[in-house]
Formats: sequence, structure tokens, C-alpha cells
Amino acid sequence: MSATAAAPIKSVDALKAAPDDYQLAVRKIVRSHAVNELYGARVYDEPAIALAPTPYLKWLTCRIAMEEYGHHVRFRQLGEQMGIPESEMTPEGRKPLSIFEFPLKTWEEFCVVKLLADLAEIIQVEDLMKCSFLPLRNLAKVTMPEEIFHSQFGKDTCTELVRTEDGRKQVQAAINHYFPMMPAFFGKKDSANNALYRKYGIKQRTNEDMRADFLKRVRDLVEGHLKLKLPEVAEAA
Amino acid sequence: MSGAARSEADAAFARLASFTAEIPRLRWFAAVGTTLTPPMVAAAETYVAALGLVPCPVATVGSWHEAAAAAQRPDWSRDWWQAESVCEQALQRQAGARFGLEPLLAALTDVTDAAAGIRDQAAAALACAGLDDEALAKVAAGAAAQACHQQGLALLAGDSAGRAFAAKFTLFAAGRWPLGIVGGTCFVF
Repeated sequence: MSATAAAPIKSVDALKAAPDDYQLAVRKIVRSHAVNELYGARVYDEPAIALAPTPYLKWLTCRIAMEEYGHHVRFRQLGEQMGIPESEMTPEGRKPLSIFEFPLKTWEEFCVVKLLADLAEIIQVEDLMKCSFLPLRNLAKVTMPEEIFHSQFGKDTCTELVRTEDGRKQVQAAINHYFPMMPAFFGKKDSANNALYRKYGIKQRTNEDMRADFLKRVRDLVEGHLKLKLPEVAEAA
Repeated sequence: MSGAARSEADAAFARLASFTAEIPRLRWFAAVGTTLTPPMVAAAETYVAALGLVPCPVATVGSWHEAAAAAQRPDWSRDWWQAESVCEQALQRQAGARFGLEPLLAALTDVTDAAAGIRDQAAAALACAGLDDEALAKVAAGAAAQACHQQGLALLAGDSAGRAFAAKFTLFAAGRWPLGIVGGTCFVF
């Protein structure tokens, strides 16, 4: 059986008849999302509740943490249906993305993480909304509204913070710290994995395309909207 | 684990399962903005006293906008939030010592999952007031989910240390939203 964007795979059962490398590719994506959603909830969202400056923002952050954890649960459940061992879908024993190695210290950092990392997540999930593996496409569609809200939360809170001089400095410092780690989110240039994903219509865009899209959108946000500076970074991972 | 300890654990987790099943059936935020009845005022007073805080007046706010504004006032009580955190940590230690951390966290995850749907009820309550405010629906849902988590901990810890969270949950279960202590007053929406 050949799996292409024109011949979507409609269920986990149907996946079993797909080529081995198609199955492997889907497993990698599901595992990666399950792990990173949980990492994000643990490393950023849960600690941010204590840092939030008002009850309103504390409760909103509680809800965001629940939603991020919920994304992990959805990807993990799909992974379980696909036969991925549970141990491969939690952060324990897996090397984290570099951004997860830096514990959150301030509320401003959290707002910047939502601004930057959730935009990166949106770009990844947008691509999965056309995925040839329909259970993954459906999951992306369900997840997207919450991702958009989280990214908007980052934009709204940063917009509020930069109204004061101290807030501007802190948001800029957090951008300087976190932004250089972001391009690596999108994977390596000329990635063999990405070529496989595109061959089968699991993903639609190259890592370079998605990274360039992210850089354009984040520049509009940081320089156009917030009137702050985006540090220079190497665009290729 | 001894037979008696096993039976105690079974009873505690059964209580929690029954509480978890109740969460989606409650009429969340159904009574917000209405006059506070004497039992509601008493529950709020119990909540404050059980947290070990100085007694304070209890008052209501009349609208979702006022509730949002109260929750963003700069003079909110850090002592109130801290007292809740200390109580929560103590209950988690007690419950963890009784039943083990892993079963405790698994049971509390079920509570959180059950509380995920409260956002829809908050959005529906806002819509009844003619409002469409996704952020405020999520704020209210976050507060309610936190109260579910705290009450779940209190049920598992199983002693009077959880009295504050039981009183707080009584207010949520009655369709109210306790907004905490702001400017020296305990506000209940």
C-alpha cells in the first residue's frame, strides 16, 4: 500500500498496513509532541502559576497548564493506540530540547515563552492539519484553538508588560535569552526525516520553510508590534 | 500494606472517585452575582478561618466584569494565596504518606481531567450574561479546577486540615466563585 497525501490513512488500524517507514515517521511525530507538551507544562506552565502577579493571571495560567497537559494526554492516547510504549512518551530519560533546560525565573520569561514557543507550536500544528494520517490531522485540528489562545496570551501579556520601562527591559531580556533557542525547534536543514514526512504527506513543508515562516511572524510580533529588538541568530539549526 | 490499611485506602479512593464523578454534574457558576445567603457567608467565613487568616468581611460582586476586576486588583492578599499553598502542600504530604505519591497523583489526574469541562460551563454562564470572553471563561475554569484539585487532596488526606478547601468547594458547588481576599474583604461572586 502506498501512503501519499492523495491517499490518506484514515485510522490507527489502517496504519498497520502502511509502509514501515510511514509508520515509523508517524510514531516519531506523535512521540515528539507527547514528550514536548508534557515538558512544556512541567517546566513552564506549572511553575508560572506561582510567578503570576494577580489571582486572575494565576487562574488563567492554571487553565493553560491544564490545556498543555491535555495536549500531552491526547498525543499519548494516540500513541498508545499505535502501540508506542508509554515510557517513550514522557520526558523521563529523553534528552530535552535546549529550551527546556532553562528553568523559568520570572513572569516576564513565561510570557515570552508563550509568545515565542507557542507561535512555533502553531506553525508545526498548522502543518499537521493537512497530515495524510487522519487521526493526527484531527488531533491537530482539536489542539489548534487552544494553541492560538496560548500564543495570543503571550502577545497580550507582553503587550501589557512593555507599557512600562522596567517591563520593556525584562521582556527584551527574556527575548534575548529564549529567542536564540527557537530556530532549532524546526529541525535540521535538509533533514532526512523531514524529506520522509513530505514524501508521504505527513508534513507539507520543509524545516527551512517553517523556520522562515516563524522568523517572519515573530519579527512582526517583536519588532512590529512590541517595538523591541529581535537578536540576530543563525537561521539554520 | 495491611488489610486495614488496604481497606482504608479503598475507602478513600472510593470517596475521591465519587467526588470526581460529581464534578461534571455540578451547576458551575449558576448562581454568580446573586445575593449571598447566610449559609454561603458562613462557608466563606469558615474558609478564611480554616486557612488560619484573620477574620474579614465577606462581600459579593455583582457582575463578571466586577469579578474580573477584583481578581486583578493589586491589593490582593498574598497571605491568603500563601495560606492556601501551605495547606495544599501539607495535605499532599499527608495523602502521599498514607497512600504513596504515584496512586495519589494518578487519582488527582482523574480529578483534573473531570474538571477540564468546566470551561464550557463558565463560557455558558458568561453567555447567559450576554458576554463572550474566552479569557475570563478560562480564568473562572482555572479557579474551579484548582478548587477541585484542592478538595481532592483534602478528601485523600482525610483529616480536618482540609476544612478550608471543603468550605471553598461548597461555594463553587453552590454555583458561586470565591475570588479570595482582596483589600481585606473575602469576595464571593
